[in-house]
Amino acid sequence: MKKITLFFFVPLLLAGCSGNEKTIDVYDVFDDAEKSVEVRDVLNSNEDIYSGTAIFADNDLLVAVQAKPWLDYKKGKIEEELTKQLEDRFSDYNVLVSADYKLYWEANKLINEEDQQKVTDEVKKLKDLEKEET
Amino acid sequence: MEQEQYKTLEQQVTPPTPYLKNAIKAFIVGGIICTIGHAITYFYIIFFDFTEKTVGNPTVSTMIFLSMLLTGFGLYKKLGQFAGAGSAVPVTGFGNAVISAAIEHRTEGVVLGIGGNIFKLAGSVILFGVASAFFVALIKLILVSIGVAQW
Repeated sequence: MKKITLFFFVPLLLAGCSGNEKTIDVYDVFDDAEKSVEVRDVLNSNEDIYSGTAIFADNDLLVAVQAKPWLDYKKGKIEEELTKQLEDRFSDYNVLVSADYKLYWEANKLINEEDQQKVTDEVKKLKDLEKEET
Repeated sequence: MEQEQYKTLEQQVTPPTPYLKNAIKAFIVGGIICTIGHAITYFYIIFFDFTEKTVGNPTVSTMIFLSMLLTGFGLYKKLGQFAGAGSAVPVTGFGNAVISAAIEHRTEGVVLGIGGNIFKLAGSVILFGVASAFFVALIKLILVSIGVAQW
């Protein structure tokens, strides 16, 4: 019995050790390398997040981030900070930064999407969803 | 027998309360209930259009629905006997308090039986919940008006 428990628990414990690297994905319809680098810079410089996904669609810039464990209470502050930084750099875009898991999940699904129209529609939908309170 | 004598005798006979064991049991069962709740949260976020802000309502209703089923089948009672506070503190314990009162008094009729007694146990929770929510909101309103905090 002890061995079986150990067998199941050791991988679980070890799984906690992996994945210390920050994962940042950027989706851009026009493949503008400069913008991509700039977004990566901003996200990389923030110490409170462990993952982020940025999507450029039309005039919208959607950035979905995930706060590090134990830093969940700082979500509002992280969003505010990143919004400010990104708005300074991308003044032509409507920037939306969110630490919500729903937006992060949907944004990651869009990363490999080929259809541009679909991405634009989905980003609009997510923006509306983010505003909902109840 | 004197009152003092009875007291010492009673203390000798009563087995000691296993506080640590009870706490561990409550911790584990309460933790499992909360893990299930979290899994339901992620289910609603991933498969439906709920954000972290809006997912609370469907999660709570699902948990209460599950505790209703368990109460109806007489399983929550057993869980409560084993886990104590671990099963009473999460929202499922609140559901159990409402539903068990309704089941207990259903023979007295729908209005005076169920209607009159359904919140017998949980009524105080609702009363103090609403009252404290009002005062917390009032304090926050004052802090925001002064400019100390933000909504």
